[in-house]
Amino acid sequence: MTRYAMAIDQRRCIGCHSCSVACRTWNELPLDIIYNPVLGGVAEGTWPNVHRNYLPTLCMHCKNPECVPCCPTGASQQDPDGVVWVDYKKCMGCKVCVNACPYGMRDTSHMVRRFDEFVRKCTFCKERREMEPGADPYCVQTCHQKARVFGDIDDPDSAISKLIGRADTFRLLEELGTDPQIYYIPDLGGTR
Amino acid sequence: MDMKQYQQENAEIQYKHRYWGFQIATYLFLGGLGGGILFLSWVLTTFVFPGTSLVQAFMLPNFIALLAIVLGLFFLVEELGQPPVFYRAYVTATSIIKWGAVLLTIASFGDLFWLLGNWSPEVPILGFLSVFNFLGGLSGLWLGAAGIAGFGIMVYTGVMLSTLKAHSFWSTPALPILFTTSALSTACAGIMLSLCGWPGVAAMSDLVAAHHVHELLHVLDIILGFAELTILLVMVLSFLGAGNRTQQRVAQRWVKGSYAGWFWIGMIGLGLVVPLIMNASGNPAAGTIACILVLCGGCLLRFLCVWSDDRQPLEGENKYYFRQKHADMKFATYYSKPGKEMERGQTFEYIDNLY
Repeated sequence: MTRYAMAIDQRRCIGCHSCSVACRTWNELPLDIIYNPVLGGVAEGTWPNVHRNYLPTLCMHCKNPECVPCCPTGASQQDPDGVVWVDYKKCMGCKVCVNACPYGMRDTSHMVRRFDEFVRKCTFCKERREMEPGADPYCVQTCHQKARVFGDIDDPDSAISKLIGRADTFRLLEELGTDPQIYYIPDLGGTR
Repeated sequence: MDMKQYQQENAEIQYKHRYWGFQIATYLFLGGLGGGILFLSWVLTTFVFPGTSLVQAFMLPNFIALLAIVLGLFFLVEELGQPPVFYRAYVTATSIIKWGAVLLTIASFGDLFWLLGNWSPEVPILGFLSVFNFLGGLSGLWLGAAGIAGFGIMVYTGVMLSTLKAHSFWSTPALPILFTTSALSTACAGIMLSLCGWPGVAAMSDLVAAHHVHELLHVLDIILGFAELTILLVMVLSFLGAGNRTQQRVAQRWVKGSYAGWFWIGMIGLGLVVPLIMNASGNPAAGTIACILVLCGGCLLRFLCVWSDDRQPLEGENKYYFRQKHADMKFATYYSKPGKEMERGQTFEYIDNLY
């Protein structure tokens, strides 16, 4: 069974925000919506041993998503391959899923016409894979540092399975029990 | 911007913007008030004072309950991103909002049918609605349905917030208890203010029964006031002392931060302690003012709770959205306005000025 996940190698990320730009361009997002903000970038350490640690984020496509069961319209859904997405035609913009997401990875745009607001979020470029089977999400394709690795985590031969298998990883807010499917490989000089 | 100013502004940042506005806070208050009135009205007429005719006495409170629920629903729908398709809220069984919508619908129609079934032709202008008096044959059923649904609404308003575990301050079993207590307290106040206020002549026996109801609600409101005060203080102070970082940050805002005035003077002082003293004094005029203060305190409680929607920030999220809010968004929105496109040189100058 296919189970999509992403590994993000913080050792490689230089905080260039190309993934954010690629995502915004492909999805034609309004200015106040970002699916994959690159957080962090705070200088850490003591001179001369200083470094910047970036935290590229996106929807965690959790195995136990908080945002799906709370949706009153059934617009917020999860595919068998683990991709959490919103059916814009069903969404009424109540924002309960936006409040339910512990990662803050959903939002409605305030720059669209009134009465036309719906919840938007990352879909692992589901629409692209429907047109080009096997294609990576745009943020993965764009990352010139190869910091993002996407694939089927249930396939032991996939690049992501191999990477996660041999590296020390962590996941964000794991204690909430959402079982997020974004695995981070911590920075060499990282705080963890 | 110097570091001190940056840190000061940073301390009060809500991660991204606030998702739910004043509409949801108002809806939670009005829903609780309406649900509470219907529940108390059902319990008092059916179980506490059976055999007495309290229909005329409870006409105005139940009419106010209907108005509160309908107005609350209006705010709820207005807050939606796509209000014309609000009916989609009834679809998913796992969603707490769906059950809220069902309860609100049952309560509204139950109350409406009860009112129409007991509508008097003496009511000015709207006397013609007495043609629906045939619904009065099932009065008990309508009020029972509305009362049970009303209880559900009172609990649901708190449960809806407490199920969202992304927000630490909401995600506590104390919140539904607090909201239910507050809803009952405001309902007592609402009923006491409006009991026997419906146009029409009531029999002396009904007025005596209504007086007993008023006395009972007076005592009940004092008890509920004490309970609410205790739950509120225990919840906020335990968050302050033993909560996680997010709960502590919100509790600090309530106890000694930007909400301290609203919390101590508005909610604890004027919303709970002063009404308790006034109610205990036994003065009827003071009792009326106490009821109004209780209603204002209940409304303030919903607003402060909805505004306490802090989420545990991800690493560096604070900095990211601070920068976006104060510089990038200003630049981006300005740059995107038609007719205001800047030349390359101007763009760099604009960015320099921002930082």
